[in-house]
Amino acid sequence: MSTNSIPSASPSLVKLITELSKLPGVGPKSAQRLAFHLIRLPEADAYALANAITTVKQNVVFCQECQNLTDSSPCTICADSQRDAGVICLVEDPLDVLALERTRCFRGRYHVLHGAISPLNGIGPDQLKIKELMARLTGGRIQELIIATNPTLEGEATAMYIRRNLDRGALKVTHLARGLPVGGSLEYSDELTLTRAFQGRQEL
Amino acid sequence: MPPPRVYRSEALTLRKMPLGEADLIVTFFTRENGKLQAVGKGARKNSSKLVGHLEPLTQVNLSLARGRSLDVVTQAQVVTNFPPLKDHLDAITKGLYLAELVDGFGSEAQPNPALYQLALDTLHSIARDPDSDLPLRYFELRLLQASGLMPELYHCVECRNPVQENKHRFSPNVGGVLCLDCSPAEARIRPLSVRALKVLRLFHRGRQAEALGLRLNPSLSQELKTLLASAVSYWLEKEIRSTSLLERLRADSGVGA
Repeated sequence: MSTNSIPSASPSLVKLITELSKLPGVGPKSAQRLAFHLIRLPEADAYALANAITTVKQNVVFCQECQNLTDSSPCTICADSQRDAGVICLVEDPLDVLALERTRCFRGRYHVLHGAISPLNGIGPDQLKIKELMARLTGGRIQELIIATNPTLEGEATAMYIRRNLDRGALKVTHLARGLPVGGSLEYSDELTLTRAFQGRQEL
Repeated sequence: MPPPRVYRSEALTLRKMPLGEADLIVTFFTRENGKLQAVGKGARKNSSKLVGHLEPLTQVNLSLARGRSLDVVTQAQVVTNFPPLKDHLDAITKGLYLAELVDGFGSEAQPNPALYQLALDTLHSIARDPDSDLPLRYFELRLLQASGLMPELYHCVECRNPVQENKHRFSPNVGGVLCLDCSPAEARIRPLSVRALKVLRLFHRGRQAEALGLRLNPSLSQELKTLLASAVSYWLEKEIRSTSLLERLRADSGVGA
């Protein structure tokens, strides 16, 4: 039964349930449970959540350089003069920046595409921050572009599209090694991963 | 007797969607059961034994357990990745267009072994010659045939008389060729050249090797693309999303058939 058809429900409660059910992975039943949970919350906690949503929508912007989400543009990474401005690591998602930063082994800057080419989901090159990347790469200030899209079909297609459209000049283009994950096993690896692992083998 | 809880299937992976924290919903086209959606538990984690085996455009052997709403993939083993399809952007895009059409025309729990085999053969053809559009054109016509929607190519669909050379047109929504005398009110009519009609008939006869060896000039290639796209999109009744990327790549490289 749809929420709208509950005759006794309060209109504001119905609106909250409707809005919550628009969230990814939240169906109508979960939306109802979340709404009732929010109603039972202490007033301060509920307002804290509402304020957090308002603040994030007001303050968070795309960094003018790397297109990552940030409170101030340029973001802290792009504004850090200690980092190498000549090396850009290209990632699909802001969460990938966090994952790479945890390694502490990369001291260049990033560029976030906000997705990967996925024609079946209606995501083409124009929906991604590819134009902004090309603009950063013109002018010869960048020496190396490290492509770190996910090793999925969509990630590989995105990497190929960018490589094809790059005016390379003196730019060095690399991509992260493909192969076996730490803690993985040969037995369960698929043929493509094993092929890539062989192709990328290194001398000891 | 209830069906067994665990069963095996051979399938082509069409698409995947994230589910929850680390799971995937994968759409397969199986040889035995037609289209099937199943859950790959933990399949987005690097440590999962399923990772790499559930990528789109992969032929896989599956073990599945019946679930309450969706079945669950318990094992997956790649049969082929159609090498070198995934090393070439045009080939990947064509493969995804094929996957979108199989997803659109395939039905759940309705096996269609002819369509399954056609999809596998076409992916191999695309991998062999990523720049050619012919494998997709052949696929589009044979897809309609395997789905029971084959356009009529020999007799006028209105008066049933055999069509005569150079006196024919094509209408996707009335189901095939029309003679010059017949113009049903509802028909969306397109011109049809005699060379295009001959190529369509060759595709219909299923001589794949002969069909894929054809050399088409750009205008004939464009005519076949428009005709077949109109027939496919008429039956699909929705926008084919991967077409825009295909067109974009074609425009970037200026490649024809």
